[in-house]
Amino acid sequence: MTDEASSRLPELAVDTIAALATSPGVGAIALVRMSGPEAFEVLRALTPGEDDPAPRTATLRSLTKGEGGDLLDRALVTSFPRPESYTGEDMVEISCHGGWLVPRMILDACVATGARLAEPGEFTRRAVLHGKMDLVQAEAVLDLIEGRSKAQHDAALFQVERGLSRRIGELREQLVTVEAYLAHHIDFPEEDEAPVTVDRVADAADALRDALEELLETAPEGELLREGAVTVLAGPPNSGKSSLYNALLGEERAIVTDIPGTTRDALEAVISIGGFPFRLVDTAGLRDSDDQVEELGVEVARRYLDRADLVLFCVESQADLGSAELEFLTGLGDVPTVLLRTKVDLTPRDRVSGPLTSEGLAAEGLDDGHRVNAADVRESVDLSVVDGTGLGRLKEILPELVYGGLVRTGTSVPALTRARQSEAVQKARDQVVAFIEALEEGTPVAVASALLRPAETALEELLGLISTDEILDRVFREFCIGK
Amino acid sequence: MSSDRTYDVIIVGGGHAGSEAAAAAARLGARTLLITPDLARVGQMSCNPAIGGIAKGVVAREVDALGGIMGRATDAARIQFRMLNRSKGPAVWSPRAQCDRELYPFGVRRALDEVPGLFLHEDMVTGLLMQDGRVTGVRTGGGEFRAEAVVVTAGTFLRGRIHIGSDASVGAGRVGEAPSVELAQELEARGLEIARFKTGTPPRIDGRSVDFTRTERQDGDPQDFRFSSYVRESIPEQRPCWITWTGEGLREVVERNLDRSALFGGEISGRGPRYCPSIEDKIVRFPDAARHQVFLEPEGLESTELYVNGLSTSLPAEVQVEFLHTVPGLERVEVTRVGYAIEYDYFPPHQLRHTLEVRAFPGLYFAGQINGTTGYEEAAGQGLMAGANAALRVLGRSPFVLERDEAYIGVLIDDLITKGTDEPYRLFTSRAEFRLLLRQDNASRRLGPRAREIGLLTERQNEALEILEERDLRVQRWFVETVIEPADANPLLGQCGSSPVRQPVRASELLKRPEVPASGLAHAGGAMFDPSTDTDAVAAVEIEIKYEGYVRREAERARSLRRQADFELPDDLPYEDLLSISSEAREKMARVRPSTLAQAGRIPGVSPADLQSLILEVRRWRRKEACFT
Ligand SMILES: Cc1cc2nc3c(=O)[nH]c(=O)nc-3n(C[C@H](O)[C@H](O)[C@H](O)COP(=O)(O)OP(=O)(O)OC[C@H]3O[C@@H](n4cnc5c(N)ncnc54)[C@H](O)[C@@H]3O)c2cc1C
Ligand SMILES: Nc1nc2c(ncn2[C@@H]2O[C@H](COP(=O)(O)OP(=O)(O)OP(=O)(O)O)[C@@H](O)[C@H]2O)c(=O)[nH]1
Ligand SMILES: [Mg+2]
Repeated sequence: MTDEASSRLPELAVDTIAALATSPGVGAIALVRMSGPEAFEVLRALTPGEDDPAPRTATLRSLTKGEGGDLLDRALVTSFPRPESYTGEDMVEISCHGGWLVPRMILDACVATGARLAEPGEFTRRAVLHGKMDLVQAEAVLDLIEGRSKAQHDAALFQVERGLSRRIGELREQLVTVEAYLAHHIDFPEEDEAPVTVDRVADAADALRDALEELLETAPEGELLREGAVTVLAGPPNSGKSSLYNALLGEERAIVTDIPGTTRDALEAVISIGGFPFRLVDTAGLRDSDDQVEELGVEVARRYLDRADLVLFCVESQADLGSAELEFLTGLGDVPTVLLRTKVDLTPRDRVSGPLTSEGLAAEGLDDGHRVNAADVRESVDLSVVDGTGLGRLKEILPELVYGGLVRTGTSVPALTRARQSEAVQKARDQVVAFIEALEEGTPVAVASALLRPAETALEELLGLISTDEILDRVFREFCIGK
Repeated sequence: MSSDRTYDVIIVGGGHAGSEAAAAAARLGARTLLITPDLARVGQMSCNPAIGGIAKGVVAREVDALGGIMGRATDAARIQFRMLNRSKGPAVWSPRAQCDRELYPFGVRRALDEVPGLFLHEDMVTGLLMQDGRVTGVRTGGGEFRAEAVVVTAGTFLRGRIHIGSDASVGAGRVGEAPSVELAQELEARGLEIARFKTGTPPRIDGRSVDFTRTERQDGDPQDFRFSSYVRESIPEQRPCWITWTGEGLREVVERNLDRSALFGGEISGRGPRYCPSIEDKIVRFPDAARHQVFLEPEGLESTELYVNGLSTSLPAEVQVEFLHTVPGLERVEVTRVGYAIEYDYFPPHQLRHTLEVRAFPGLYFAGQINGTTGYEEAAGQGLMAGANAALRVLGRSPFVLERDEAYIGVLIDDLITKGTDEPYRLFTSRAEFRLLLRQDNASRRLGPRAREIGLLTERQNEALEILEERDLRVQRWFVETVIEPADANPLLGQCGSSPVRQPVRASELLKRPEVPASGLAHAGGAMFDPSTDTDAVAAVEIEIKYEGYVRREAERARSLRRQADFELPDDLPYEDLLSISSEAREKMARVRPSTLAQAGRIPGVSPADLQSLILEVRRWRRKEACFT
């Protein structure tokens, strides 16, 4: 490694860090915390003449800026001697009065007496460094803090409690079992009725591949869970997109007028529907326009559509679906789409007609069934923001459409929520598949087995673990060895 | 012994480690003295007279490739040879030879006598001579001997104690041989960490009392295989082994007498090897196994004694007779020697450097069983490396260390030092992360050039190596260059169930098909070499061409690990003070004192995060050191 590279590595965890753990400026109470070898020293400097508080016991203390300094606050102080603390280091938590001033002054006093301001995420990084949690847990801690929906909260909490780590650990165990079979097969050829045939190895490898793939299937939904599914409101001008946007948000965020072409720039907001996060985007009505600003707005809308996870396509219920709309739908390709017939309060019931889904469109024989079929119109909902028709139904189907798997299994299941995670599991899976294929081609197991080490490494790196010799341990536990 | 009693290197112990250590040191040009209490027992096989087996067979060939004795002695003594794992492809072929218990030590002694500059002396070493923390020689019953380097290879003798049943125990290094107590005490008193292991051996029986009709005969491979790449010994005729099975009767006898077993009665404190359990162990730990396999193996050409492989025990003699009589074929068997368990001192090997030098005492080297290993091959490999390094030290030359991707010997020594061991350590292929590179067929190709460069090979071995290298190259070239006509190829392809070809095709192309063997191609293509004698060269192309992608990837992986190994860690790094590293990792690294980053990464309990911090700490520490000096 070059020195340049090493200078980009995180600071050594030899110093003491301090940070405000609560949001600055808000709340009646704030929490300042410190971690590191000097944490107790710094506390002593802030509480001259006082005994150290008993470990893990909230104790009232007057905090001053050093000996004879001004009183900063009277606050509850708790100390956590290592290693039984969040970071595994000596830690101090100071619960002081909130607002802008007091926490800032206490933090400054900590820094003045030996601590330094922490980098974002540094407490958690130290927890990983000291083996308090693995990398996957640490990532989940961030998700938990940033969580904006119940589902994300549940999933993150489940992972903080090692749900995903345990699953990955189990997969690694399963891999070690395959390797143990191989070890038995190769290293103990003369034992009592050698119980491990190549078939048994292959079966175990198949089961492992299936388990890896099952976990991988959670990745698309899991990653959406963190970011929120990009849900784009699109359709002709004046079709009621902004009105629906406001209705779903529960506040008047977008400007609504009866002038077509009102919305220009895209508006974005994360909302929770049925406990799942959606990144709702209101866009400009799609039409060819001479107005340069509106033109740009349409451009922006198209860009959002390119990365949409779901499209809510709004068409007034009294209007028929014209060729322009059908062309648009076809252009969406395989992005799941919901067709919304808006303003149904203005349309007599019997006049609301029209196809429901791709199949419906094709069956009705409207336009070219072939092309419409290419779009993925999953549902159609009749909607009115005036009398509320269809809003309940829409909120019901949205989670199912995007998070179907998680809706069915519940969010307390291991799910991959980051690219780093799915890449590692994918790599392990690819290696295992290569191994299975090699066996099928007749490659001797002793040779093919070289493919499994990288799979093991991938899973271990995911957890930030190290490889230990567990394979032989497994052999000795499961088989009677001893020629 | 010469009159001034001064040598360059002294080897303590004439077992498998000691013999190789002595020969290697002397071959490098060090004046070497081997001291052992009974010169008639140099190279004696304490337990099963067999060399090789899984991974161990590769080590025996590595020892030979490095100019050692074991390969030759085995060839000259083998009375049954088998290539284990033959059906699993040459990548994991493992040669194993049953040896004549008399011929083997005879071969070892003959090889030792050929080495100039090597002297033998019969005595028991009782202590070390030391000056300023350095070794200066040894003390024996008969006086003092001086040398700048001493290699201790005392095997199972250090405070050895033998148990036959729970109430008969006696101090011994092997049956009938005195233990080495003073040396153990002295080394412990000097502050070395010491611990205890145990192992066991099965009874021997008189073959004339066996009903072979109730057993299954197992013949050796009718093959002219040799462990030695350099020296052609003449091979004795072969003898069969016999297989039988234990059953309910034996289980009943063992269970009824469990409390009389030294291993189970708590008389023995040390840990035994899990891969070599006693019959008591097997019965207790695997209650569902209906039967256990037993091999009756010949002890010699002229001997009628058989080794009862699979029934190692520490039950009393009469119980051994009773359980043997329940085994088909052994109903009337006569026991010639009873089985026993032995416990002994060893030195937890984290106290060593990769040269096998004891960290605390420059000039002192340990090899073999006393480092916590078991097995002749493991002992021989260490002995050779320790002897060579002792000599290199005295001669002022740089040390000789084998890496994990170079040899099983490298895996063995690195495992011992880095991971330690809490049971007697033996090699398995699964301990090696590069087993496609570490094969028996390429031992001389891998290690011969290294040995030649250092000076471990004799003139004769050098010449043999050159011939071998030429032959390897010729065989390889034949496969790459030869084009086979469809008329010659198709009959072979038909036989192997491989699709026929229409155009002339290169031999190496056909070899890439998993089902097509190299030897068949050599015949079909009219090769000038004989695949049945050039077995190593043919096995090598079989794997290196057929599985080229795999071998290449493994080599790449090895190279990238090597780069990591390039980051050296200072010997005097104060691990206790490196607070950015987790306390567990700090403690483990302080114990092992890894010499490279890669080694640190292999220590159980050291995480990638610890390694990252370690890099930074080392940089910081170096800067600080630079300021002070
Ligand atoms: C009962 C028994 C059962 C075993 N079972 C197995 C088994 O099942 N599988 C297996 O792989 N291996 C087994 N072994 C181990 C195998 O025998 C050893 O691993 C191998 O012999 C070790 O070689 P070594 O050179 O280290 O020691 P040894 O072969 O033990 O040689 C030690 C030598 O040092 C000499 N010596 C000792 N002390 C002194 C001294 N103070 N001064 C001078 N010379 C000294 C001894 O006389 C001896 O010559 C068994 C050994 C025993 C004794
Ligand atoms: N009666 C009735 N009127 C509605 C409904 N939804 C929207 N409108 C009206 O339709 C007009 C257009 O609504 P918007 O929400 O601005 O439409 P839009 O699709 O965002 O229009 P652009 O931004 O111009 O593309 C406004 O006058 C709304 O009050 C509805 O459900 N019922
Ligand atoms: Mg709008």
